Amino acid sequence: MYRVDTYPTDRYGDFDLRPGKPIPFGATIVPGGVNFSVYSMYATTCELVLFNKREREPFAVIPFPEAYRIGNVFTIVVFDLEFENIEYAFRMDGPNDFQMGHWFNKDKYLLDPYAKAMGGRDIWGVTPDWNDPFQYRSKIVQDDFDWQGDKPLEIPMRDLIIYETHVRGFTKHESSNTKYPGTFAAAREKIPYLKSLGINCLELMPIYEFDEFENAKPSPVTGQQLLNYWGYSTVGFFAPKSGYAATGKYGMQVDEVKTLVKELHQNGIEVMLDVVFNHTAEGNERGPYISFRGIDNKTYYMLTPEGYYYNFSGCGNTLNCNNPVVRNMILDCLRYWASEYHIDGFRFDLATILGRNQDGSPMHNPPLLETLAFDPVLGKVKLIAEAWDAGGLYQVGSFPSWGRWAEWNGKYRDTLRKFIKGEPNQTLAMTRRLEGSPDLYDVKYRGASASINFVTCHDGFTLMDMVSYDHKHNDANGEGNNDGSDDNDSWNCGCEGETEDEGIKFLRKKQIKNAMSMLLISQGVPMILSGDEFGNTQYGNNNTYCQDNEITWLHWKQPEENKDLLNYVKHMIELRKRCNFIKSKQISDLCGDSIYGYPLISYHGVKPWEADFSAESRLLGVLYCDKSEILENQDEFLYVAMNMKWESQYVELPSLPEGYDWYIFANTDMAYGEDIWDLEDVKRLSYQPGINVSARSVIILIGKP
Amino acid sequence: MNIETVNDNEITTLKLEGNLDGTTADYAQEKILGYVSPNHSIIIDMEKCLYVSSAGLRVLLITAKQLAKIGGKGVFVNLTEEVHDVMEMTGFSSIFDRFETIDEAKLAIRKG
Repeated sequence: MYRVDTYPTDRYGDFDLRPGKPIPFGATIVPGGVNFSVYSMYATTCELVLFNKREREPFAVIPFPEAYRIGNVFTIVVFDLEFENIEYAFRMDGPNDFQMGHWFNKDKYLLDPYAKAMGGRDIWGVTPDWNDPFQYRSKIVQDDFDWQGDKPLEIPMRDLIIYETHVRGFTKHESSNTKYPGTFAAAREKIPYLKSLGINCLELMPIYEFDEFENAKPSPVTGQQLLNYWGYSTVGFFAPKSGYAATGKYGMQVDEVKTLVKELHQNGIEVMLDVVFNHTAEGNERGPYISFRGIDNKTYYMLTPEGYYYNFSGCGNTLNCNNPVVRNMILDCLRYWASEYHIDGFRFDLATILGRNQDGSPMHNPPLLETLAFDPVLGKVKLIAEAWDAGGLYQVGSFPSWGRWAEWNGKYRDTLRKFIKGEPNQTLAMTRRLEGSPDLYDVKYRGASASINFVTCHDGFTLMDMVSYDHKHNDANGEGNNDGSDDNDSWNCGCEGETEDEGIKFLRKKQIKNAMSMLLISQGVPMILSGDEFGNTQYGNNNTYCQDNEITWLHWKQPEENKDLLNYVKHMIELRKRCNFIKSKQISDLCGDSIYGYPLISYHGVKPWEADFSAESRLLGVLYCDKSEILENQDEFLYVAMNMKWESQYVELPSLPEGYDWYIFANTDMAYGEDIWDLEDVKRLSYQPGINVSARSVIILIGKP
Repeated sequence: MNIETVNDNEITTLKLEGNLDGTTADYAQEKILGYVSPNHSIIIDMEKCLYVSSAGLRVLLITAKQLAKIGGKGVFVNLTEEVHDVMEMTGFSSIFDRFETIDEAKLAIRKG
């Protein structure tokens, strides 16, 4: 049966038209044509401009008839478009009044804010033709991907082990041995590696379309072009980064991303996106017209009373997140990625901006955050906030959550780093971090799953650099080493940077194993920075946002060169998976379910049950105990002795029930082969009452019958 | 795009020549689906089809789904590396089995 609305009602030039539908926004394929719909509150007129792929001159300019406008939405259906080969823009006219916040310019080609794919930066690093007035080109995509039954995995938060990576850096190095390095397709080739590592959530740094040439400049050190490599500067919220797709040159990036997601899901790995809604790539008052500025500057951006951009993002502008229209756009966007791409979770960059009012002030119950927390489509999606912004709003522990939002726990990172470094006054704070930071995340309302625990992330030193450098070395970034954080809580173990000193090298690896041990026995959700599991270095650069080169690309010879580290991390992940009691159990009842009456978690010092929280104490023992989920009428014990002092300490072990013994699972002071054991192959301690814990070492024991 | 067909009892070989994209998809779909019938197999010879776009991949996938629905069979021969890689990366690699030559394909079809 034919639909009535497949017939045109009007004709303009060579094109058949009819009034479009205002919802959904963007370009939607409809029977016989394409429905275009775009919002602008203040535009007086709007034109649809059609280009053939990569051509500079348009082949058609179609004004939206006034009769087709519904409310503040311009709509139109254009029939018989060969949409696969089309790139489109809008041009809008309206007031141009700086103080009033209006930037309309009828000559500017504007990207559709809802563009589902984008041309113009099809292939990574290919210098654009800057004379082309149409830089960022909206494309029309088919949304009928064959998912073959796939859906988001909905792994419980408590079971999640997140692995943060950069799509390009993950496989760009030739040693990755992938066919199309640096792409989504190449990441797919690495799924067997991810599976063998044991992680179950891949967090991708921004994959929304951005412009790697934004603020590009030559490096003062190498002369090499510095790019916007990280991509924390969104051009199109609905479009995947074409330059990350091997098929981007054909405009098939949408299917390539979906194929990656589907195969990760088939292997039990969720996909989380790092999303940047706090600002856009249009920058400050001197920035380019890309989209929002020319479509409805006053709606999309936070403006001062004088018409300037507020800069809570540190990137020139601030998206007006709690304007109702912008709120809806963000919601539409997340729903789109969750439903169309089967994305399992989102990590929000500088998320406190999403809780700011239109005048920039922090809100008590930000409607956007509440909407996302309760949205039906996002109901099982993970929501993770980076709970601070560049405007000084720091909400770690107090981010409005409605029991749904988790947070990157910056305090976890800081405490662990200080403790590992050997700073005083850390043992008591460590108990909080091991318990999922109940001082920050109330057990009743949020629980440990609200705490995303990490020692390192893309921002800052890698783990190897954290133990190899006292200071950042960012000269290659071209900012006189003034960029990047100075508060790294790092220690170089005796020599700044690379060394041939075997003692220092051993100590560095031991510190890495110490960090991984603590991270993976902490309640909460652990996050590992990609490459840390095999000692990846960025040569002391702690802010590699612009380095698209050997500094940031993972070297895939390292898993072999540092196989001791990789082996250690794999075993720790396996331990975590096997021991439910170290995975964010609701620990409001510290008695747990032990049949022998042991607490679920308890702390110890050189003497059992006598933890030393004094300033100079650098030793902490933690004992986990819970009823075995496998063996009837038995308890499981896990004891971790962490000695971050520069000298060894003898530790008396907590006594076990009769018939139970201590078995050694890990000792970071031992060389490869003796440092960690398969859980089925743990060795009984020959001397049960106590154990010597070497300087700056972690020992992990298992207590069992 | 030009599609030449060769019939051999219950097997039809369709030789695609040119790009399979948005401009040729409708023609190709109509032509290929014309050979989809019960107990009939088709071989799609891709030797002279050097580019398959998103729309083109969907033509092939729809063909496969139609064949599956009625119990027919389809295979590819002579896929170029580029086209094969695009299919692989965009999730269309499992559409049909692939063979190097038409004879191999026919043998496999007849063996069932």
